[in-house]
Amino acid sequence: MRTGVFFCHTDESRNLNIDAIAKYSANLPEVETVQILRLKPLPQVKFISEQIKSNNLERIVLAGDMPGYFKPVFTKAVALTGGNTDEIRLASFQEHGAKGENAMDRAKAIVACATMGIPFPLAAVPGGNPVNHATLIIGAGIAGIQAALEIANAGKQVYLVEQSGTIGGHMAMFDKTFPTLDCAACILTPKMVSVGQHEMIRLLTRSKLVAVSGKPGAYRVKVRQKARFVDVKSCVACNICAEVCPVKVKSEFDAGISLRKAIYIPFPQAVPNAYLVDETKCTYILSEGQKCGVCMKKCPKECINLNETDKIIDIEVGNIILATGYELLDVSKIEQYGYGIFPNVLTSLEFERITNASGTTGGRIVTKTLVTNKKTGKEEWIFSPEGIPPGSVAIIHCVGSRNKKYNPYCSRVCCMYSLKFAHLIKEKVPNVNVYEFYIDMRAFGKGYEEFAERIKQEGTFVVRGHSASVAMKDEHMVVRGEDIFNDRLVEFNVDMVVLAVGLVPSQGTEEISRMLGVQRDSDGWFSELDYNGSPTDTDKGGIYVAGMCQAPKDIPDTVAQASAVAAGVLGSFTSGKGIGHMSSLSLSEIESRAKKIHAF
Amino acid sequence: MAIRVNPTFIDELDRFGAEDVQLCYQCGDCSTVCPHADDVYKFPRKSMRSLQMGLEQKIETTLEPWLCYYCGQCSTQCPREADPGETMMSLRRWLISRYDFTGIARKFFKSRLTEVLAIVIVALFTGAFLVYYGLSGGSIDIYDGEGAFLPSQFIHRFDLSIGSILLIFLLANAIHMWYLVMVKGTNFFVPWWLYIKEFFQLPWHFFTQKRYSECEKKQEHPVFMPWIIHLGLMLGYVTMLVLVMVFIEQLQSGPDIRWSVHIFGYLATIGLVTGTLYFIRSRLKKSYVQYKKSHGTDWVFVVLLFIIVLTGILQHIFHRTGLNELANITYVVHLMGVVPWLLRMPFSKWSHLIYRPLAMYFAEIRREALTRQEEIIQSVPVLIK
Amino acid sequence: MCGTNIAKIVDVEAVAKYVSGIPDVVLAKTYKYMCSNPGQEMIIQDIKEHHLNRIVVAACSPNMHERTFRNALRSAGLNQYLFEMANIREQCSWVHKDPEEATEKAKALVYAAICRVTFHEELESMSVNMCPNVLVVGGGIAGMTAALELADAGNNVHLVEKNNHLGGNLARVDLTAPYLYSARDLLTEKITRIMNHKQVHVYFESKLSELTGFIGNFKATIQMLNGKPGKINNPVEVEIGNVIVCTGFKEFDASRIVHYGYGKLPNVITSFELEKMIRTGRIETRDGKIPKYVAIIHCVGSRSQEFHTYCSRVCCMTALKYAHEIKSANPESYISDIYIDMHAFGKGHEDFYLRSSEAKTLFLMYEKGDRPVIHKASPKDNCEMLIEVNEKLSGELIEIPADLVILMVGMEAREDSHEIARIVNISQDKDGWFIESHPKLEPVATTTDGIFIAGTCVAPKDIPDSVAQARAAAARILARISKGKIEVDALYSEVLDDKCSGCRFCNQLCPYSAIVFDEEKKHSYIISALCKGCGVCVAACPSAAIRGRHFTDQQVLAQVDGLFCENG
Repeated sequence: MRTGVFFCHTDESRNLNIDAIAKYSANLPEVETVQILRLKPLPQVKFISEQIKSNNLERIVLAGDMPGYFKPVFTKAVALTGGNTDEIRLASFQEHGAKGENAMDRAKAIVACATMGIPFPLAAVPGGNPVNHATLIIGAGIAGIQAALEIANAGKQVYLVEQSGTIGGHMAMFDKTFPTLDCAACILTPKMVSVGQHEMIRLLTRSKLVAVSGKPGAYRVKVRQKARFVDVKSCVACNICAEVCPVKVKSEFDAGISLRKAIYIPFPQAVPNAYLVDETKCTYILSEGQKCGVCMKKCPKECINLNETDKIIDIEVGNIILATGYELLDVSKIEQYGYGIFPNVLTSLEFERITNASGTTGGRIVTKTLVTNKKTGKEEWIFSPEGIPPGSVAIIHCVGSRNKKYNPYCSRVCCMYSLKFAHLIKEKVPNVNVYEFYIDMRAFGKGYEEFAERIKQEGTFVVRGHSASVAMKDEHMVVRGEDIFNDRLVEFNVDMVVLAVGLVPSQGTEEISRMLGVQRDSDGWFSELDYNGSPTDTDKGGIYVAGMCQAPKDIPDTVAQASAVAAGVLGSFTSGKGIGHMSSLSLSEIESRAKKIHAF
Repeated sequence: MAIRVNPTFIDELDRFGAEDVQLCYQCGDCSTVCPHADDVYKFPRKSMRSLQMGLEQKIETTLEPWLCYYCGQCSTQCPREADPGETMMSLRRWLISRYDFTGIARKFFKSRLTEVLAIVIVALFTGAFLVYYGLSGGSIDIYDGEGAFLPSQFIHRFDLSIGSILLIFLLANAIHMWYLVMVKGTNFFVPWWLYIKEFFQLPWHFFTQKRYSECEKKQEHPVFMPWIIHLGLMLGYVTMLVLVMVFIEQLQSGPDIRWSVHIFGYLATIGLVTGTLYFIRSRLKKSYVQYKKSHGTDWVFVVLLFIIVLTGILQHIFHRTGLNELANITYVVHLMGVVPWLLRMPFSKWSHLIYRPLAMYFAEIRREALTRQEEIIQSVPVLIK
Repeated sequence: MCGTNIAKIVDVEAVAKYVSGIPDVVLAKTYKYMCSNPGQEMIIQDIKEHHLNRIVVAACSPNMHERTFRNALRSAGLNQYLFEMANIREQCSWVHKDPEEATEKAKALVYAAICRVTFHEELESMSVNMCPNVLVVGGGIAGMTAALELADAGNNVHLVEKNNHLGGNLARVDLTAPYLYSARDLLTEKITRIMNHKQVHVYFESKLSELTGFIGNFKATIQMLNGKPGKINNPVEVEIGNVIVCTGFKEFDASRIVHYGYGKLPNVITSFELEKMIRTGRIETRDGKIPKYVAIIHCVGSRSQEFHTYCSRVCCMTALKYAHEIKSANPESYISDIYIDMHAFGKGHEDFYLRSSEAKTLFLMYEKGDRPVIHKASPKDNCEMLIEVNEKLSGELIEIPADLVILMVGMEAREDSHEIARIVNISQDKDGWFIESHPKLEPVATTTDGIFIAGTCVAPKDIPDSVAQARAAAARILARISKGKIEVDALYSEVLDDKCSGCRFCNQLCPYSAIVFDEEKKHSYIISALCKGCGVCVAACPSAAIRGRHFTDQQVLAQVDGLFCENG
């Protein structure tokens, strides 16, 4: 087939030498002409049809990051010249991950496949090698837990590595889940329990990846497990140690709105259900055993050992699953919302904690109260169950999301949880005013639209228009916004502002991606092997991504992904082959395979 | 009756500098942060919307663009970098061309070449004419008095004629503006006495530009500076205009300095010089949001003004130091700048000198008329300045 | 007390106090999250310490946590069926306002449970073999992904497709949003691999006509759709262990909305019709002109009270895709995109939205329920049609010129979905989508063991999400296969031979055809593995010869008595 190859725009960050690729593709069989198109002016129908006529082309290959953007104009040209419009092939460098060290070879291979009219993934299948039946999962949020259970229930060994002292991740912090409003704990804790009890799951809390070696199917992983200082088996979580501990710190689990001791349990239902010591705060540890150490003396079961040291654990696994999740954008850098300046401006997570029955206010939605700290004598704002409930609350969507300055992307869950908040407030606080400031109401999932409607019925004042400022006007917090549908500028006095803060990849993401060589997209999330075809695989063989760490998504989608990952893992066991790295494929290999398929 | 949307309109506005307007996804942040937006005049968002949808009839009757002094807050806040501030600026340009019935302004804004060309041609004509006149009547080395190259009486007459042309155009456009804004643009009754009641607005805003100073509170840089400088420039310009139009004879006579007149001249010059220098510098440095994008006309504006001011100063100095020959030459050059400048005024950005205060005036009248009809929704707390 | 879910209405302490007064009750305790690890630990401890032999938990619905607590019993060395759950959440705290009365009701419920549990017997659940073969219904992207996933793991897969080709709805699409990748390459890859796969058996132009048996041991009958003449039409029967249903969606019929004049106005077309145009490179009006003004209308049939209340999830991105494609083919045409809310939520979506703004697409917003109306334009308008709509962002009533109007038709459940639902015995929601066993934690499992659902037959979703679901379903099955065996619940009915008169009433009634008649013994007996313990036969048997295990008359009556004697 007489083929013409046209190169469209490619992103500099790919550092591809287009001329070199063009030269390469010119020598491919059946290639008649190779053209490099500039982004501006866009290719014109006239020019293309001339090209087709002069070389009487039968097949056209469009190469570039997203050549699809140019396809329609080429299709039109082909149609005008009476050619076969099905013979326009796309060679997308972005789709098939021509990036990083072997970008050039990959790009060439992609073009080669396209010229033969063969889908790249069909030709580019790395060879397999025997698989170790153990699996490593990094991150024990709902994604990690789900994947772990799927695999362990098949009777396979799982190592579940979690950075913090307990599993459960963010979902454990939530109160209710949209749109069904069943409590997160009710559906999560059973899973946590079964993870804790499962004979095939080895749980490694307070642990971090330090080194990875080996190849797909046989990875050797070094994990550093920080000392817990408390014996998990014998601890009965009686709380005596915490009572006597003199050190008070902000509780991570409570999103920093309540205090915990230096020896603590993240939350009563934590798994493993044992206390742990925050080595960065404990007086005894900081003073190298000079001071304090009361908890050791007081513990009735003598299960505390503050001299315990970190462990390095070597694990051999066949597959690795990344479920490292997300965290909130640092909202204090968006000044106009006055977070950290006005006491009652909260992040979404903080609100989850006060509305949660197990939270510091026992589920009562209240504003902060001013108390004087006995030690320092300073005045500070804290949440207490006796606080006054707010008379009116503003919920601001898209804080840091959909914004070129912070997160250009949409965080996908904020609209729904904001609506959920509105419902919870209405439910718990009598005759309260709730104002929602939004740009687009993204209620897309099963039953979401209906939920959104229901919230509006409940009398939440939904303002189409984003508020850009929270200010203090004579003792009152004032939220300004434009109520676009009612064509007016509004200014509401509110007692509490909840910011639907955008999501960013969790801190470790960058480090892990370096350690494992898994690519990340421009927003910092792990990039999947193929957006449509294999959304949970990565460029690296035997390494999968699940849940938020691939891109923001809600619980059902996260769970589905986690299970999907399990399919890849279990499949590799039964077939006995772990698929190798994409990068392990040489250009010539792909070419020859493509040729075979082509001939066949 | 439904208004017709015109999707092609943005292409037209593109030429006036509103390139990014289609990026706006209507979140309303800009209106929230704008120090001038209130419940009657909501902008920039609404203006951007009308522009996106190409609602020409709406835009030509709006006052909002004139109420904006381009503090740049909206553009810094915009999550999609759609640059609302620049959009308002381009709308002002478009409105100027809309008010101008001759259609010259339109040409100027759309192509920088036509504008420059026009200026050069007029300049050359003036030059030729003046040189011819000068040579025919007097001698190059006499500046003032008997046999002067360009006798002040003649210049006086010359100025007045130019000035009257200028005035005619300006008035005509102003009336057109009034028609669009107050007749076509009002679907409610405007009692005549409001015009009298609110009349003070005109001089007030003309001489103080108070609203500009209001941008201050929401500024990334102290707007105080640009405001004062802008004010200085404007006042300087007006004073100079008056001097030239009325006191040209005292001004030109010398070589001794007549402080009673010249003091004003000097003050005006200071205002003009600092002004032009400041704006040229800012535009070169692109220091603040409002100077990031410079339309062709903006450059012509500042550069031409600068030339005029410079030559003006030079000829003054030459004359006082007795270098009459040089003085005359620079004088001619000076006038070669002044004439096109003045003739161009009704068709250029500079005409906002008139339109802005007029807009403020009309705006207040409209507001009053509206409030009298209680057309403002009071159901929820709203911002009313 | 499940956080405050129960405690906020029911005074649990009072209930506990009252209960501990009842004879035979050794101890009554309350705990914030009984289902959590410490909660269960507590139960286990108490069983060991106090040698308890019956357990009642008053909490949420048994659907949620019966299994959890049964496991607790088991690990305490007690038979898991010696347990009863009193549902004081769904049946009490969630449905009542008045605390006193609610508390009273809670007491009654708990007491009833106690009465019942005393009659509970030790039951043993049994395990059956798991057949490694899998049946996949539907050969769209979801079905093919699942099939390959399973087959690559070395299992036989039977793939039933009603058309004569694979690919489903995706086969009608040219490029995929948001990166404009080639849908065709995506499919070609999967199809080629399936057709060359030894372990995938594809049945074209066929349908699943019958499914008998139970998890691990199904028998499926696959029937050729008799459309083509001269085709022998004998059903195939296959043995399978699990079924994945991926029957996909059908697009909304745009002519149902009169405002849009679809079918009457020549240049009003649906999204799928546009796809065809784009494919063939001819984006033109009916009379072959290049449209100057193109309008795209979102949410056709979606997000409306009359038609479908739900959002179809993919249309927004598809619409933006069209905007780009049309702009690319006809740079001189102006595109107006008429939407309700722009659902650009996924990876790369927002950026895609931004790009189409950069391409100068005009976005116009209308309100749910306040639909645009399309009129034929008069000659002087120099455009084909005028779309009248209340634009929300400007607050104006506007009319938009248009030469070509594209209706973004939403997704709806296929009309034959209820038939499938009946055959494989799963339930559908009000919109006809199949219902998953838990919306969050079990998105692919159904209430019928061994039947899984994936892709757009569950609810509208885009390609990556469908693929993920398909794989999730595959994972479940792979896990079971690798285990080899599967446990079935001990709750089934049994025939008391001496009482049975052999009237055979039950045989016809049984929905799972689990009851067989024994000719020589002259009485019926029940295949326990098939029986789901629904109790129909128990109720129907004229001679009370059938006994539902764990639902004996004794137990049920005891519970009823308990309920009323206390309330009276």
